[in-house]
This record gives sequence, structure tokens and C-alpha cells, in this order.
Amino acid sequence: MTTAADDFLDLSDIQGIVVKAYSRFGFPVARYVLFRIDLPAHGRKFVVGITPMITTGVRWTDPASIPSAATNIAFTYKGLKHLDVLDASLHGFSDEFSMGMKARRDIVGDTGPNHPRHWDPVWHNESETGQHVHILVTIDGKGETEVEARYRQILALLVECPGVVQLSGQRGGGSDDLPYQPAAAIPPKPEEAGFPGGKEHFGYSDGISTTFFKGCGADPMEVIGEDKPVKGDPRTLEGWAPVAAGELIFGYPDEAFEYPEAPGPPLFSRNGTYLVYRKLHENTGSFESYLEAEGARFPGGKEALAAKFAGRWRNGAPLATFPTQESADRYIAELSALQLKVWAGQASPAEQARYQELALQLVALDYGDDKDGARCPFGAHTRRVNPRSALRFGNKKAFADDPGALSNRRRVLRRGLPYGRSETPARDDGDHGIVIMIVNADLSRQFEFVQQQWITFGNDFKLANDQDPLPGNHGTSKNCRAGGRMII
Amino acid sequence: MSNIAGKAYAMNVITPLKWLTTLRTRLIFWGAGKLPSTTLGLVTLSLIHYARWVILRPKDFPHLGPEQPKEDLQYCYMLFFSNFNGSWDQYVDSFSSTIPTGLDSFWYKNIKYTNSIPMLPFHRYITWNQIWTDNYYNAYPMASTNDVKSAQKVRQNLIDFARSTANATPDDFQRQYNKLLLSLQHDLSQMGLNPVVSLSASAVDRRLGKERRGVS
Amino acid sequence: MANQSGNAYALALLCPVRAGAPPAGFDGQCQESYAAHLRYVLQSVRVSGDSPMARVPNTYLSRFFLLDDVFYQGSPALEEHLKSSYLVFCCNFHGELEPYLTGMWKTIESEVRLILNHCVGFSDQTVRDAAAFIAYIKKCEIKTTFYFNGSTDQPLAEQLKGLYLKQEFSKFAFENQGRSAREIQEAFGEFIKGTEPENTARPAWKPGVYDLDKVVAK
Ligand code: HEM
Repeated sequence: MTTAADDFLDLSDIQGIVVKAYSRFGFPVARYVLFRIDLPAHGRKFVVGITPMITTGVRWTDPASIPSAATNIAFTYKGLKHLDVLDASLHGFSDEFSMGMKARRDIVGDTGPNHPRHWDPVWHNESETGQHVHILVTIDGKGETEVEARYRQILALLVECPGVVQLSGQRGGGSDDLPYQPAAAIPPKPEEAGFPGGKEHFGYSDGISTTFFKGCGADPMEVIGEDKPVKGDPRTLEGWAPVAAGELIFGYPDEAFEYPEAPGPPLFSRNGTYLVYRKLHENTGSFESYLEAEGARFPGGKEALAAKFAGRWRNGAPLATFPTQESADRYIAELSALQLKVWAGQASPAEQARYQELALQLVALDYGDDKDGARCPFGAHTRRVNPRSALRFGNKKAFADDPGALSNRRRVLRRGLPYGRSETPARDDGDHGIVIMIVNADLSRQFEFVQQQWITFGNDFKLANDQDPLPGNHGTSKNCRAGGRMII
Repeated sequence: MSNIAGKAYAMNVITPLKWLTTLRTRLIFWGAGKLPSTTLGLVTLSLIHYARWVILRPKDFPHLGPEQPKEDLQYCYMLFFSNFNGSWDQYVDSFSSTIPTGLDSFWYKNIKYTNSIPMLPFHRYITWNQIWTDNYYNAYPMASTNDVKSAQKVRQNLIDFARSTANATPDDFQRQYNKLLLSLQHDLSQMGLNPVVSLSASAVDRRLGKERRGVS
Repeated sequence: MANQSGNAYALALLCPVRAGAPPAGFDGQCQESYAAHLRYVLQSVRVSGDSPMARVPNTYLSRFFLLDDVFYQGSPALEEHLKSSYLVFCCNFHGELEPYLTGMWKTIESEVRLILNHCVGFSDQTVRDAAAFIAYIKKCEIKTTFYFNGSTDQPLAEQLKGLYLKQEFSKFAFENQGRSAREIQEAFGEFIKGTEPENTARPAWKPGVYDLDKVVAK
């Protein structure tokens, strides 16, 4: 249970991007901008200059408290070095961070077409150890205008510090040399208007589940289905508890009742965390044609097949709770209609209550009643990346009655948005995919583990070398021939 | 030198404990042998092929002749050997969060044992007392313990199915075949190489491939 | 006895390594201690499908390492040291100890000698046959206190046959989706002929091989 007493996080010292999924607050547009620091003094001046613009995690209690745009900042290891952060502090960072993701490509499965040499040009021309991307600035806003205005404000800082260079070389819109990465939510289909959350390019509703952690400042009701499963009915508050803050933020106890490892002194790392930035191209053409071809032979058709891949129907309804397309469609239609009324302030108390009930069903599940994967396959994306209680395989007594024993230490926060347009989804080329940002306190235990063991491998789900049907590295990898197959 | 053979990782840990403690520890192991519920967590986790704990009293160190000096030890020693899937770094959390009471009682009162939670001191305790394997052999490096168990089931099912459908009509065959697939639905994934679980392991692999010194 | 769990046997040996260094010239290496040279030998023994252990019937998993000393846990713990290095051999296999060791002697005697010759009490003169080898091993064996078997205790050949069938049948099921009853029945007949599920000898997976292209023994 969460109470006001859980307000122990210093939200004003934690960046907003950690605490808030901005798209839920009406920010559907974003830009991700990269910088290099040539002169440490200018780098520091830039950081001082941008600080007042940084959006914190302080709760937005009413619409008036929501700014027009949010700004957040992150640094690479080399970036911190170029700011002259003391060696004693730098040495406290984990290997995963100091090496950078390129050097860890074998661990995270970035091989074949996903090899760093195919990444956007901005990541090239680096020596093996010489990251030259030093700073990431994210801008999220209500619209293009607001984001553009904030972007200009930030670039204006560079006039005073020419030793900080904006890096172009991001791919998009037919160019290989954009000065920033644009991203924007894809609105739901008309018939799903009102549904909370946008689409990604394969057509799935995204941004539904999040990770509720202690002190995050969100409505305690949101803990249901969003955090760690505990003994109790998964459909109610009794079945869930917030994840310890130290799983996601430095300076607070984690699920093993200790502080996560972080560089010293404590003041330097407290309220900070690690953020992984990945730009994932989506082969929409292959995806659609595969669904068409295989869906024709699959009972339930292509939509049912798409649902088996994700563990959710493309309209967002969880497969474990809504096993048929008809039940899923009915559910989403009712939920979306009520959502529109709630937004408009026109919902009666009865409708409010019904809305609450339905909204809960979106996330209040733990696979306890689908332990054989009859509805949601073991290998479905969402069941892999957050197995909830599924790794007990129905053995209630297995882990001292702690249903989440094997998943609680693998939780991450997901941020980011889709990028590009896929008006012609029949094609793979073109510029469309998702920018996914993963926030966690231990890169190796959380992000890398999920990416490697749960996305590009299958043993924990008793699926040998099978990979995640959505973000798995299929087909061309020499190491694994299981790619491209899934048991449903 | 490698602790890794395909999907298996070889763990060797040696830790001291006092003689009196060994009595209780033996009792705990004896109980664990009798009561399957103690190891239910390990069974469900299903990452271990085989593991063992050996308690050595000073006099248990083999002495093979006058040319070998006699050991003169005060402590007893516990040796832990395990063959599990993944790497220790990856799964140390799983072990400590799924079977904390098991781990704590198995290492009960070993000198300076830290308890499995919090995890960082436990992790340090284990790595400090770990010995690297010089040569590790695995008869099925492309199979995890899940795969070995599932393979046994697949084979048995296939043998039974082939016998019972030997003279079946096509329709009858189809019905039974569907049943077979249903009962094997969690056993039909393909095996292959292990993902690269540690960069040192992949560096060693690369080096071995090029310049393995062949003695036998 | 805790060395056994069903038909799975947990063998663990501590073989004391000879003290000091062999007379100069041993394999051309001057002044290297027996222990250091043994470590070099162990690390040079081939791995995977080329490992000598792949020839020893019924070996599931095995390892060698050198225990040079015990670890000091820091004050106020006692500081103490071993007087010898020990070769540790740890093995999980199917069946009883003596037949297993006999199998080992028959298949890899020369490799065993190469290793155990570094140990106290083992030499070409003292160990001349399988019986003497078994007697030596029994002197070095330490008893397992608690054995956890998270796998099966089948003969290795059955495990390997199972793995072969799991791999092949999963391909079969995948490739025959959506075909007619008659077609599947026919294909299955061929499949059984080709894979011979009851014949553990072959086709099956070869022990130790870490390569999908080379793992099947036809
Ligand atoms: C192109 C790649 C990807 C696609 C199309 C995709 C799609 C989706 C979809 C449709 C959902 C369900 C909607 C929701 O719960 O918000 C989801 C959930 C999720 N995804 Fe992904 N995803 C991708 C990559 C990744 C990666 C790389 C990770 C992690 C490393 C990841 C982690 C998650 C997590 C943690 C959830 C929430 C699951 C839950 O709590 O039930 N995804 N994703």
C-alpha cells in the first residue's frame, strides 16, 4: 500500500523524465539533441545555463502547473570526463556505463544489421573507446511550436559557449544529417479515440504499462498491475506493492534492502540514474506481410497473431484477460468512450466507477490464471519483458510466496516516442521506429539482462533459444537460428 | 581457463566454518534431502544441472604418503560446486531472491558469511571465495537444464506416439498428433549457442580459437 | 549416500600435487613447479567436442582446477594455509563409480596419466592398470554432503538422443503446419525412419559439441 508517508523522494532534485512518462501529460512531440564538449569550461557553462530549464519530477497537480515543454539532460561517461568530473567519481561508475553501449554490443545482441556500424552517422567516426557524443538533451512538448521554441532557447546558450558543439548526423526524412532526432506520438485510430496512449508503427497501442515505484508521486491506485506482484488478488491493491525506489534511482534502498552501487560522493549521484538511449528501426513492411501470410492460416486471423506476439491486442487490451478479438474490441470501445467523457468532465459517478474498473483491467494481471500460456504465450513480448508472476510456472509455494521474486529486480522505466512516419507500411525502408529510453539503477542487472536473457534468448521461459517476436534480433544472427520462430 | 562451457557456468566456492557449525549444517542438509520443499525454489528456478556441497573436516583432506606434508587446519571447509545456466553475475539476484533462506542455511555460520540479502556483500563474499575453473567440460553445451529435461519428455512422447499411431487412419493420426503437439507445446523450441554472457568469456573464446595450445 | 541422486553420481577428488619443481628439463620448462605445470596442462586440455572427457562414457559435466590454498576471511578469523596444492576434479555422471572409472581408464588413460603424474602417489610405476587407478581415485575421493540434481539421471546416450529428437521434432512440427492429415502422417513415418527414436546409438547428438553444424552423429 502506498500512503502519503511514501513521499520521501526529493522530486525537485530528480529529473522529470525519470518520474513522468511525458506522453501521458499531453506531450506528444519531442526532439532529442546531442552535443560534444570540446572545452570543459564551456561545457560547464552550458550545464549551468540549461539548469533553470531542466524539468524536475515535482508533481503536476493541476493543468496550470504543466509547462509548455519539458527539458531533460543526460551525459555519457566521456561527457562527464569532458566536464572535468573528478576521476575519483568517474571510477565509481559501472563498466557498462563507462564502456558505452557500442563496446557492449555482443552482450545486448547488437549484431548483424543491428551492428553499431549501421547506426545513425552521429555515432560513427569514433574510436572504440572514444565516445564523442557527450550530452543528450531531450525536449518534450505540447506541440511543434513549443518544442521549437525551447530548442531555440537551448541553442542560444551555445553562443556563449562555442566549446560545446551540437552534433548533426541523425537520420530521418531522407536525410543522414539532421541536427536532432525528431519524435512524435502516433495518434490512435479514430475508432479508438480516447484510448490512453498512442500507437507505434506496427500498429500496437503503446505506453500502457509503466513501473510504479515508491515515492514516484503518482496516484496510489496506479500501483495496481504496474508494480511488483505480492500475495493477494492481482485485480486489487492487495496484489501489488510499489517497487523500491533504489531499483530506479541512486541514493535510495533497492529491492535487496541496500543502496544501489553509484559513484561517490553521495551528493554526486543521489537522485541520478542511468538512462539507455536506443533508436530502433521497425521493418513495418516485413511485419505486415508476415502477418498477412501467416495470419491467413492462423485461427483467429492476423489480429490474433499480432496479439500473440505482443501479449496485447493491437488495440491495447491484454490477451491474458481478453482472449478473443471480440471481447477485446468490446472492452476497448467501452473504455475509450468513457475516457472521452471523463476527460470532458461529463462522466456520472456511475460512469466514473465503471471507468475506473475498466482502466484497471488494462494492467491488473499477473498471468496467474494463464500459467500454461494458453492465452498469452510464454514468448509474447510483454510477458517476457515483465513476467510479473509468470516465472513461478504455477508453483505458488516456490519462492517463499513472493510471486515477483524473479522479476522485481529486472524492472525498468520506459520513456521515449515513435519517430518518423510510416504512411506506406508496405515498405521496410524509410524512416520509422521507436526511440526507447530505459531508466534503471543497474544497467547490467536490469537493462542488459532483459535485453539479453529475455529478449534475445528464451531459457527463462523454457523456450531454449527463441527470441522476442518484436524486438528480438532475428534471422541473420549467426549465433542463433531460433530467430524468427515462436511457439504460440 | 574458463568457467563457461556453452550454456553452463562452473562455480567453485570454498569457505571456512567451525567444527561445531558443521554439525548443524549437516543436519540442515540432511533435512533438505528429506524435505523436497526446501529445494522447491531451486527446482522452479530450474537453472542448475547439478550442484553439491561438500563439508571437509581437516582429516578429510586426502593424505597419500610420507612425501606429502600433513595438513594442520583448525577450520572445517565447505566446498560448493555448481553447474548452472547463465553467468553468476546475471543470476546472483535470482538465487538470493528466490531461495534466500535456503542459501542462508546452507552457508549457516560460515566464517564471515553475510546472508544473501542484502545482495552486494553476498556477491562480494562469493566472488572473494570463488576459484576459477581451469578446464570445464559439458556434454551438451547447447542445452540448458530446461532443455535436457524437456528433451527427455519429447523422446518419451514420440516413442509412445509412434507406437500408438502405427496403424492409425489419417484422421485418427491427426487427432492424436494434435494432442501430441499440445502436450509438447512448451518443448518445441530450437536450441543453439548461448548468448555472450560476459565480455571476458567472449575474449577468451576468440583467443582460444586462434591460439589454443594443444597438449592433448 | 549423498554422492548419488538416483542414477546420477557426484564424484569429487582432491589429489595432492607433488611439492616443489621437477628436475630441470621437464618438458623443457625449467624450475616450474609441479602445480604451475599442471595448471598449464589443464588449461591446454582440449575443450568441447575435442575434450578427452567427451570420450569417457556417461560424463554429463566435469571440471578440473587447482586449489592452491584456502582463503583468509580477515580479522578476527584465523589465518591458515594448505601445505599442498590439490588438483580438484569434479564430475557428474550416470551410473556407478567403478564402471565409470574403468570406462575412463579405457578411453583416456594417456590423458589421465599426463595430469595425475603431477600428483603424490601416482606414477607409471605405481598405477599400472584400471584396478590400481580405481584404488588411487578412491583414496582421493571426498564425500558429498548434499547433492542437488536439477536435471535427469538418464544414461548420457539417452539424454543426447532426446536433445537430438527435441531439435529435429521441433523443426518437423514447424515445417508441417497446415498440411493435410495424410501428408503429415506420411512425413511422420519418414521422420521416424530417419530419426529412430528408440535407437540411442544414432542418429543423436555428439557429446561436447558446441556447433549446430557438427553436433549430429548420423
Ligand atoms: C521495436 C521494438 C518494440 C516494440 C514494437 C515494442 C512494443 C511494445 C508494446 C506494444 C507493448 C505493450 C504496451 C504497453 O504495455 O505499454 C510493450 C510493452 C513493454 N515493452 Fe516493448 N517494444 C519494443 C521494444 C522494447 C525493448 C527493447 C524493451 C526493453 C529493453 C521493451 C520493454 C517493454 C516493457 C518493460 C513493457 C511493459 C510490459 C509490462 O509491464 O507488461 N520493449 N512494448
